[in-house]
Amino acid sequence: MMREVRAFGRRPIFLMIMFVAPLGFLWLFTSLMDAGLPTKLPAALVDEDDTHVTRQLTRILGTMQETNFVITTKSFTEARQAMQRGEIYAIFRIPKGTTEAALTQRQPVMSFYTNDTYYIAASLLMKDMRKMSEMAGLAMTRAVMRAKGKTDAQIMGTLQPIVIEAHPLGNPHLNYSVVLTNLIVPGLLMLVIMLTTSYTFGSEWKRGQQKKLYELCDGNMVVAILGKLTVHTVTFTLMMWLFDFVFYSYLEFPCACGIPRMMLWGFLAVLASQGFGLLMFEAFPGQMRMAMSACSLLGVMQFSLAGFSFPVSAMYEPFQWLADIFPLHHYFVIYVNQALNGYSISYVWGSVVILIFIYLLPQFFAWRLKDAMLHKNYRE
Amino acid sequence: MRKPKFPIIHVWLDELSEIVKDEGILIFMILLPLAYPLLYALIYDTETQRELPICVVDDSMTGRSRDFIRRVDATPEVEVATHCTDMEQARELMRQRRVFGILHIPREFNERLWRGQQAVVGLYSDLTSMLYYKVEYLAVINVAQELNRNIKVLERQGDATTAREESLARWPIRFEEVKLYNSAGGFAAFLIPAVLMLIVQQALCLCVGMSMGRSRERFRGLVIPPTKHYKNALAIVLGKALVHFLMFMLMGIYMTVCVTHWFGLPNLGHFWEIVGMLVPYVAASTFMAMFWSSFIFRREDCILLFVFMSIPLLFLTGVSWPGASVPPFWKAVGSIFPSTYGANAYVRIQCMGASMGDCHFELQRMWILTGIYFLLTWLIYYFEIRKAVGRSVLD
Repeated sequence: MMREVRAFGRRPIFLMIMFVAPLGFLWLFTSLMDAGLPTKLPAALVDEDDTHVTRQLTRILGTMQETNFVITTKSFTEARQAMQRGEIYAIFRIPKGTTEAALTQRQPVMSFYTNDTYYIAASLLMKDMRKMSEMAGLAMTRAVMRAKGKTDAQIMGTLQPIVIEAHPLGNPHLNYSVVLTNLIVPGLLMLVIMLTTSYTFGSEWKRGQQKKLYELCDGNMVVAILGKLTVHTVTFTLMMWLFDFVFYSYLEFPCACGIPRMMLWGFLAVLASQGFGLLMFEAFPGQMRMAMSACSLLGVMQFSLAGFSFPVSAMYEPFQWLADIFPLHHYFVIYVNQALNGYSISYVWGSVVILIFIYLLPQFFAWRLKDAMLHKNYRE
Repeated sequence: MRKPKFPIIHVWLDELSEIVKDEGILIFMILLPLAYPLLYALIYDTETQRELPICVVDDSMTGRSRDFIRRVDATPEVEVATHCTDMEQARELMRQRRVFGILHIPREFNERLWRGQQAVVGLYSDLTSMLYYKVEYLAVINVAQELNRNIKVLERQGDATTAREESLARWPIRFEEVKLYNSAGGFAAFLIPAVLMLIVQQALCLCVGMSMGRSRERFRGLVIPPTKHYKNALAIVLGKALVHFLMFMLMGIYMTVCVTHWFGLPNLGHFWEIVGMLVPYVAASTFMAMFWSSFIFRREDCILLFVFMSIPLLFLTGVSWPGASVPPFWKAVGSIFPSTYGANAYVRIQCMGASMGDCHFELQRMWILTGIYFLLTWLIYYFEIRKAVGRSVLD
């Protein structure tokens, strides 16, 4: 163990990866998603009609939460070009003759265009414009009914008989930061853990020290693994706990289960990631580079397969199975169950067991490690 | 010593033969760019969530509430998987992750509607994924709006006599929603193009980093072998860069043409415009990779350094997280990586049919980055040669 601590000093890059990088991620993602939900996204308004009615409409649109009309123009081509230059995400178009058609009851058509290659921005703007369009139609009917002497309660009962009350459970403000930062930052740490684990074992072979390590632990692989990894475990766990405090205490993300519980799951995630990294090393014993390549290829993929951006249930079935081998997916399932929803852990005990299993699995293959220590040399 | 005639060619051939012998580099140069895009495209190939299981608690038990439920079930977004008798039962199903949303229709639903009052339907969604909330909300709100229009026309405003009047009462103003460039609103069409560009840059960094680390290990800390061909910094930089540049141009074209075609991703760009955008992008990435790699002394270190950068870089491109909401400081950080401009330029040309003129800002920035990184790399090699010459004198 002391040997490992001394090894730290020789490898500045290692310290950078272990400390600077995770803190950098924390800073990046918390500042990136500071507002939780992006607001005031740039859009263009094409008002070909340009009457007082359409101007009133555009004023209402201007007050919407997500929309910020940076371009107001009469030419659709101009707006489209701005969109292709990437300056705006959406166009709201009021064609010529809208007011006239509305006044003479000829059903005018307005249109909005969103650029769905920027998915999040487009979804948010679409939501705004939909709401807006619905309300514009209702406002016209309301004016007619008021003129007929109906009360507001009666009017609402006619205009919107069925009201949908949406309850996004656990994250009522639909704060993206809660779903993303909270998982990407620990996820990156888990990737770092996988890489450093295979790196630190690989270094023994690279420096030709693997036999020395064998003598040091008397051929007992449990001692070798624990000895080498304990320092890492402690450091990374502290880092994970720091994240927990920043998220749940400083940024006040929802944490229905209490911080100590999340600290426990964070610790488990650290262990499982180490297990994963070690397993990869055992798959390619002594070949540091292959092990690290495998870790990085699989490790980057776990961000997609974990399911927090694109749900696992929507993927093809083989990917749903594949997701199960990644620690991040299980950390995510446990996080949703515990912190977001505050349910009992018994509902996701399977994920807890798998995390522990991934941690213990390398012990079953320790003979490969032992074999490699005695017989394998570093291979380019 | 006689000066070699074409040092660039020598360096180029050397680098090429080194790479072919090195399976570690080959993984990142061939396997990764070939296989990774396919894998990613497959993960997101389903594009969106369909038939998400939800459960219904129908306290009203009337024809109207059943009609509502039938219509919700008929939407492509959700599937009514079970009916529960009370909320507690429904919540239990949600905890077990067998359903991902609850639709609650209150006891007085039908009565209130008959009385001309508003009836409130509750939708409780699981936020395991933001997409769950989005599809459930969309499905239910669409059904509610349709029913609302029917109620408005048929029951409340009974004075509409012709079909035209009915239609007017339903839609005083008509609206058209147009989803441009990604008409299905799918995930793959949105994420994959940016990911493809990122794969190019990251794989390049790994390849170049490995080859540099390998030289450093072999030639006692130098990035160039102490032979006579390696005297001209310009030739070395260009010769080495050419190997990676050509290889990744090929890979870039494979991704933008083959992968895009196989998976039916947006494909509006003209071939030569895409090539015109790939050239500065791959060039800038190559020189950037050579520059950053010169700080690497062991070949495995570059995996540690470059791999985890991928995810933050994806966010800095402004494609996955709206660029308008990226803080200025991080925009500045993003501006030193070609991927920030490459991903945007590619998305615009390929997915939105923009011309090269429309993204001249990105192209210009990529050429500037190419120039800067090239000069920096040149300087580094220049000093490396001085160091090598100094050492050979001592030897």
